[in-house]
Amino acid sequence: MDFDALISGLDRHTLDGITRGSIYALVALGYTMVYGVMKLINFAHSEVFMVGTWTVLGVYTVLGATSGMGVGAVIGATVLALLAAMLASAGTALAVERIAYRPLRKKGAPPLIFLITGIGCSLVLVETFGQVLKAFFGPPFGRVTVNVPSVIETKVVFTIPGLDLPVTNTRLLIIIGAIVMMVALDTFVNKSRLGRGVRAVAQDPDTASLMGVNQERVIMLVFVLGGAMAGVAALLFTVQYDITKFDIGFIIGIKAFTAAVLGGIGNLRGALVGGLLLGVVEVYASQIWDSSWTDVTAFIVLVLVLMFRPTGLLGESLGKARA
Amino acid sequence: MLLEMKDAVLSYGKIEALHGISVHVEEGEVVSLIGANGAGKTSTMRALSGVRGLSAGSVVFDGQDVTKMRADQRLRKGLVLCPEGRGIFPGMTVTENLNMGAYTRKDKSAIDEDYDRVFDLFPRLLERKKQIAGTMSGGEQQMLAIGRALMSRPKLLMLDEPSMGLAPMLIQQIFDIITEISQQGTTILVVEQNAKQALSRSDRAYVLETGNIVKTGTGPELLDDPSVREAYLGVA
Ligand SMILES: Nc1ncnc2c1ncn2[C@@H]1O[C@H](COP(=O)(O)OP(=O)(O)O)[C@@H](O)[C@H]1O
Ligand SMILES: [Mg+2]
Repeated sequence: MDFDALISGLDRHTLDGITRGSIYALVALGYTMVYGVMKLINFAHSEVFMVGTWTVLGVYTVLGATSGMGVGAVIGATVLALLAAMLASAGTALAVERIAYRPLRKKGAPPLIFLITGIGCSLVLVETFGQVLKAFFGPPFGRVTVNVPSVIETKVVFTIPGLDLPVTNTRLLIIIGAIVMMVALDTFVNKSRLGRGVRAVAQDPDTASLMGVNQERVIMLVFVLGGAMAGVAALLFTVQYDITKFDIGFIIGIKAFTAAVLGGIGNLRGALVGGLLLGVVEVYASQIWDSSWTDVTAFIVLVLVLMFRPTGLLGESLGKARA
Repeated sequence: MLLEMKDAVLSYGKIEALHGISVHVEEGEVVSLIGANGAGKTSTMRALSGVRGLSAGSVVFDGQDVTKMRADQRLRKGLVLCPEGRGIFPGMTVTENLNMGAYTRKDKSAIDEDYDRVFDLFPRLLERKKQIAGTMSGGEQQMLAIGRALMSRPKLLMLDEPSMGLAPMLIQQIFDIITEISQQGTTILVVEQNAKQALSRSDRAYVLETGNIVKTGTGPELLDDPSVREAYLGVA
């Protein structure tokens, strides 16, 4: 155990944790929104994120984007990759809903069947990138880690005075990007008419339908929104880590799910709190022990939360979450 | 005829709750449906509003067969249910709950008129516009639920046990308001265990027993009916 390593670089590690946590939080939104409305853990959501990272790689490859391009080209390529990733992830989420969940809902299947079907979808998507696409197109598809061009060159943009802590452009992009998206989503759900419909279904589906809310539409909407947020997370992830892999969704998915549970599943703001907290905790743990503890920490946190506070820190439903 | 349900059968899995009942409501009427606990009153409301589908029978509303329509589609036609237990959204404010009633509407100026009408009927709600609905008293929640239903501009307003859990004074007040809503031109179908209030305020009524309609007549007729008096009014 090495507390000195943690204490001596506390500011740096905290910043690192917040960066990771921002990405977890964005992915966690998808789990939390679907849970809020359907009381379902969508196990295929991790692959919605994975598809986003591959989409970023695809866009960069097509554009021939690399580091060292001009500022205009970098911004253009990044924005294009972002939009494409949001679209692809939202599309994947919607497809999972349509193909896997909706038919079960129409039949009134018990909850367990939904979980198993979700895991099935997740496996199909993973193997699509790990095997099927490789068989048709060869590399980069397959079971290896693939580099994503680091289009944005990492630069220190400013140093936090007093702490002497350098902040890079990529970290800034990730943290600000995540916060902007979360505020936008929170405002949409709390202030708009459709958002009110979402909250109504989350609180009481039957009564919501008596108000004229089309539940099927609300369900589609939360899959699309959650998917789009995972797409944003996918872009930000590649900006920071410059890689993807067929099974990259697995570990991010578990961490995002843990973040959602930690903050209070069904609660939008809980996803943010849970994500940031988990990011920071796992970085601290990797300093106190060693880096092999990074991933273990998420599991430990998940188990502890489920044992001692299953409703999470904020612990309200999507329906009740409000200013 | 504004509403006609014919030979409606409704089941929960293997349990059949309605065994082929027929009910109709004419435009402008106040009709009540009375019956003991478990008779199938709420099931009838679910079938009419579309929250649950029928396994046999039909529902025609305003000249259109709505049997296969979902609840949200029926609401758009003006078939509005204020559900049992009120069904207010506890995490939303009074204003947000009322907004939910107008969820499908775009006619801004008419919506504002309806706000005025609701606040006129329930001044209490105006005082508490910003309050989180879950923190209000039972009577206030019932007022909110009725107000919210009115925000949907019902052609037919269906109320499932509006007096449930309320003190006698409040029950009186709620029924006064229902009468007033009727006089303002809305057709009403009300479900009640409180048979005395319901019958004395209704043009016609149905008596439901274990999933079957066993009696029907005008309000005064049923108030004088010996078997109804014995079973539902507590007088021999
Ligand atoms: N969701 C449900 N699942 C199974 N049985 C139900 C359900 N709701 C009602 N029932 C049954 O249907 C019958 C009628 O109930 P209900 O319509 O609620 O009666 P009421 O409103 O007159 O008290 C009762 O026997 C009740 O137990
Ligand atoms: Mg009932």
